[in-house]
Amino acid sequence: MIQIELFLLLSAILFVVGLYGVLTTNRGIIVLMSIEIMLNAGNINMIAFAAYWGSALGQVFVIFSLAIAAAEVAVGIALLLNVYKVKKTTKIDDMTILRW
Amino acid sequence: MMLEYVWLTPLIPLLCFVIIGFFGNKMKEGGGYVAIFGALVAFVISLVASYEYVTGDLFAISLPFVQEMNWLTIGAHEINFGVYIDSLSCVMMLFASFISLMIFVYSVGYMGHEEKKRRRYYAEVSLFLTGMMGLVISSNYLEMFVFWEIMGLCSYLLIGFWSFRHNEGDTASENAASAAKKAFLVTRLGDVCFMAGLFILLNEFHSLDYAVVFAQANIAAVDPTALTIATLLIFAGAVGKSAQFPLHDWLPDAMAGPTTVSALIHAATMVKGGVYLVARSFPIFVQNPDVMILVAFVGGFTAIFAASMALNNMNIKRVLAYSTLSQLGYMFLALGAGGYLMAIGMQTGNNELIGLGALGYVAGVFHMINHAFFKALLFLGSGSVIHSAGTEDMRKMGGLGKKMKITSITMLIGSLSIAGFPLLSGFWSKDLVLETALAPAQHGLGAEWTFTALFLMGIITAFMTAFYMFRMWFMTFRGDEGEATRHAHGESPRSMTVPLIILAVFALGSGLGILFGLSNAITESLSCTLGYLHIHTHEGMTIAEDIFTNVWTYVSIVLTLLGMYIGWLMYCKKSVDPGRFNKNGESRLYKLLTKRYYFPQIYNAISWKLGYGVAKGVDYMDKEVIDGAVNGLSNAVVGAGDSLSAVQTGNLNNYAAWVYTGVIVLVAVIMAVFIANGGI
Repeated sequence: MIQIELFLLLSAILFVVGLYGVLTTNRGIIVLMSIEIMLNAGNINMIAFAAYWGSALGQVFVIFSLAIAAAEVAVGIALLLNVYKVKKTTKIDDMTILRW
Repeated sequence: MMLEYVWLTPLIPLLCFVIIGFFGNKMKEGGGYVAIFGALVAFVISLVASYEYVTGDLFAISLPFVQEMNWLTIGAHEINFGVYIDSLSCVMMLFASFISLMIFVYSVGYMGHEEKKRRRYYAEVSLFLTGMMGLVISSNYLEMFVFWEIMGLCSYLLIGFWSFRHNEGDTASENAASAAKKAFLVTRLGDVCFMAGLFILLNEFHSLDYAVVFAQANIAAVDPTALTIATLLIFAGAVGKSAQFPLHDWLPDAMAGPTTVSALIHAATMVKGGVYLVARSFPIFVQNPDVMILVAFVGGFTAIFAASMALNNMNIKRVLAYSTLSQLGYMFLALGAGGYLMAIGMQTGNNELIGLGALGYVAGVFHMINHAFFKALLFLGSGSVIHSAGTEDMRKMGGLGKKMKITSITMLIGSLSIAGFPLLSGFWSKDLVLETALAPAQHGLGAEWTFTALFLMGIITAFMTAFYMFRMWFMTFRGDEGEATRHAHGESPRSMTVPLIILAVFALGSGLGILFGLSNAITESLSCTLGYLHIHTHEGMTIAEDIFTNVWTYVSIVLTLLGMYIGWLMYCKKSVDPGRFNKNGESRLYKLLTKRYYFPQIYNAISWKLGYGVAKGVDYMDKEVIDGAVNGLSNAVVGAGDSLSAVQTGNLNNYAAWVYTGVIVLVAVIMAVFIANGGI
């Protein structure tokens, strides 16, 4: 049996990778992708704990989480598409017209 | 029956005010008949109610008629609204409404040529009557103060009646406007003091009802120092309203209004309010003899001071204005001297002194009644003269007696009465006032120098009064025809002469009331509140006996006749040239009198130096401190918002960074708490 610490380490690495992506890039699509990586880091955590405690509850939550992530990405992509139609760009640096 | 409806007396003139104010222009005489009707109804109600009160059970057992309803409750302080009728209210109601009625009738003739402005005039005089009637029937000080201020407002409006367009040009308009402002502001000074006095009373008594404030048990329970301060402040209110020294200077300027308004202010309303206030507050004023002696001295000084300015004035209305000041001073002298005697009597338990004090009170109120009649007569007579001659300058009159028989005879009666010619109304009350000042010496109660001084002030004023009144009468009606006399229209219309004749009858006879129980009736007003003193004063024939057995009465009669004779010598026979005494108007004293003792300048200096300085300080406070605090607060909020809005870059990366910084801080805090609690 693989030790749980390794799962958690993998999850943490994935989360940091995703976070790094969100904070540094200015490309909208990459931001969405990075968020997905962070989400999945969380999912791995849940599965690992589910296996550790011998409970199916964590796995059920992961199913929900994946479904919601899919919906969220659909919404995100749709928004980006619309932005692209108007501004001919998906760079988030250019999406600042709603600030003060 | 009618006593329960006495609240109608202020209400009906108020309704007239509203009706005339809205529809006056559509009515005959600009609503003048409505105003007359209102005054008539008020008078009839007063008459019936007074009769009912005086013949009723309450009067017999020395109790006032009180009707009240709750108006406000502020914490423990109850403020009521109602009527308080005693004999003082009755006489005030009667003469105020009756003289107002006469003045309103007279106005139909006098104001007839004012066209559209009559609506404003009649509406405002009706409101004026409301103020006076409300003042005298109020059951507590706050209610009284409300009506007091209504009168202040009306005096402002009416003195400035010609401030928009005066027949005599723009300067006269400006004079009217500034006289109105002066009247309003100077009396305001007194009103503020009055209000401060009411605050103290409310704080001490938790009520402003006369029934509570004048109750012996309540007075005994409060702090005497606070009560003394309150009475002094209330007296300052009376000084402002009744134009006593040093707040007297607005009244001569108030002559800028129509003559009927002057008559209304001087005889029926306004200035009588101050005297009424002191008379009404007698039970709390007598708690401290020093307050009363102050009242007497302010009155005595004003009497002689104002009379001196009337000696050389050439304006017929101003002479009358100064004489009003002087006569009001007489009333305060009587009230103050009487109050002092009563206060001493209360302290020493001397019943004779209490009786003499009540006599002073009677003298003050009685003089107020008589003064109302002869001063209304004199003002309306001077209005008739001005109406006919078209000027107020007595040098241009002279010899008007032939053209205006009724006016000249009625004014002669008024002048005789105010001068104190024996058996006319002014004589009785004036000698009663002097008798009060003499009382301590004559009854072997220790002739204090204060009373000697008061008596001297009174008797010198009596002499001066006789002189200047007859100077005025001779200059106007006798002697050579002046230039204005040649152009005079002759006698005024009947609506003006009939009130003159009626008032002349009263000026002749109203003093005789003292022989028929009037003094007893007025004393009953004191007994309503100071009943435990068992006040016994002389009445009826005894007073007459007192007056005619007193040698000083004959001295005052002789002085009166002497004043009249000098007036006759100087201004009718012209055998004595008045120019000899004043170096033809060049002497310093003459100029001092003409300049009114420089009081207008003193007022100006004070208002510019002190008033303007205070106003600037207040303005600074307002702009810098109060506005500064408000603006500073809003600037701080806006500035903080500005600097914080820099965080909103619109850049997604930054937002995300803030979110994660927050998460990290949260996690760090939670972990710190866990570690501090010794781990999980």
